[in-house]
Amino acid sequence: MNAMKPLLRSLFIPTMLFLGACGCCEKVVAPPPAAPPPPPAPVIVLPGLGDVFYDFDRSELREEAVVQLKTNANWMAANAARNVIIEGHCDERGTSEYNLALGQRRANSARDYVINLGVDAARLKTVSYGEEKPFVLGHTEEAWAQNRRAHFVAE
Amino acid sequence: MIQFFRGAVSCVFLLLFCFVSPLHLVAAEGQEYIAIRKEGSGNIALVLDKLDAKGRKETNFAQSLDVTMRDGLDFTRLFSLISPPLNVKDNSDRKNIVINFPALTSVGAEVYAGGVVTMKSDMIILDMKVYEAAGSKLLMNKTYSGTEADLRSIGHAFCADIVQLLTGKRSVFGSRIVFVSNKTGFKEIYECEFDGYGVKPLTNSRSICMNPALSPDGKHLAYIDFISGRPTLYIRSLTGGRIAAVGKSAVSIDPGWRNNNEVAATLSFDGNQEIYLVNTDGTLSRRVTNSKSIDISPTFSPDGSKMAFVSSRNGLPQLFIQDLASGQVKRLTFSGRYNTQPSWSPVGDKIVYTTWEKGGEINIFTINADGSGLMQLTQKSGENKSPSWSPDGEMIVFTSNCQGKEKLYVMSSKGGNERLLLQVDGEQTQPSWSLFR
Repeated sequence: MNAMKPLLRSLFIPTMLFLGACGCCEKVVAPPPAAPPPPPAPVIVLPGLGDVFYDFDRSELREEAVVQLKTNANWMAANAARNVIIEGHCDERGTSEYNLALGQRRANSARDYVINLGVDAARLKTVSYGEEKPFVLGHTEEAWAQNRRAHFVAE
Repeated sequence: MIQFFRGAVSCVFLLLFCFVSPLHLVAAEGQEYIAIRKEGSGNIALVLDKLDAKGRKETNFAQSLDVTMRDGLDFTRLFSLISPPLNVKDNSDRKNIVINFPALTSVGAEVYAGGVVTMKSDMIILDMKVYEAAGSKLLMNKTYSGTEADLRSIGHAFCADIVQLLTGKRSVFGSRIVFVSNKTGFKEIYECEFDGYGVKPLTNSRSICMNPALSPDGKHLAYIDFISGRPTLYIRSLTGGRIAAVGKSAVSIDPGWRNNNEVAATLSFDGNQEIYLVNTDGTLSRRVTNSKSIDISPTFSPDGSKMAFVSSRNGLPQLFIQDLASGQVKRLTFSGRYNTQPSWSPVGDKIVYTTWEKGGEINIFTINADGSGLMQLTQKSGENKSPSWSPDGEMIVFTSNCQGKEKLYVMSSKGGNERLLLQVDGEQTQPSWSLFR
């Protein structure tokens, strides 16, 4: 009985491999499906303008903000007729006058970076809303992080 | 001959007055009045007697004045108002009222005030007399008059006089408070009297208005409005209606008056946020700060020689004081990680401001201009913001969300005695108390 095991195994494995190979072959030789619908007209979609986010009380750019600003600069290069307003926003915490100042520094840091990437300064305007126009209502770090942003608006 | 005639005429007038005047107060006895009160010796025990009046109209006006004067004196928190004892006046002889001073002293009154309301055609005439209870000495005898529309100001004129008489200081009567309210769905600027009475809108921009501040003489209102698409400083003449817009090409933040002719604000047209002095016609006077950091919220010493402001030049926002002549800057606050919203007392060397605490509370503190005497005025009551001094430096108006929505409150300048200033819809923020009154 014990002597049978290796024999069975040696028969079993090649059999399975054979069956598997046959399966693959089956797929290859299967008839093609019904004709696919005609593909849509080709459109080149450039990544759009996106917002950048900031740390608490900071207006320095984070790593992912730099990536987004490069995308925004490319969009502006491809859409040369459009001007852009950069709005600086803050979370609700702290005091409103300081947040108005901080929001402006956020808008300015984003503007300065895209100008360095070659965007004409005349196409950019900045404004600060401070804590006056939050994107997300709520009193959690999640909401606050969403509200600490430079928001890009194409004119 | 003329002299004699004049004398005779005045005698006749005096006699006439004695007979015509319905009831007038006469002190039973006279003694020297000692008005010296120790600082912090507690409230003045005052009997403000019901005003006397004959006739229906007169009685109605007297009742209205009673309420105005009582509420007005109560607002100052300087007085303990004691109900008059039943036998305080004796008019048994039907001509004169004799004040029962022993009855006043027995209820603990220090001062007694009473008066008569009469009418002369459409004019309301209020004759007020103030006596010292213990010495029964007449301290003040003054007549106020005006039309029905002036009733509140008549009552408050008396309140102002009695406060001045007993404390030597001018009080808050006649002053106004400007503030922001979102009751229409937009942040607009409103004003009211010192006690919250008579709320009136000052803007209708349907945008975002912020940080109103009245010039010391009350002739101009400076504020920030987003109506142009950007926060812009506007200086509006409240007498002529002329409006000057400043710094339209960039962001303007939080104006503060230095004197009647100059208001300071943060402007950023040159790319950096700096504090400038601006004339009331909107032209620039001069730049005050020069740093790469955030510099905002200028507020000036009473003589205009020094400016306290917020700067992030050392990291998180702290208060600094700049000497305007020398340009020398000194850091004022070292305790608290986030200190903003300074307001310099109109009567001295104290600065009130807010600290954003680690637990999320925002609290109001005062500190002397030399950095000494730090005092906490609010605690365990949520976010308390935008403190502004009353013109006499005795009170502070501020915003608090201690009951949920942001509302205006008034408290003593040493903390305590907090009370809601007004009950209107929406949230009220950024109050600023006028210096004029």
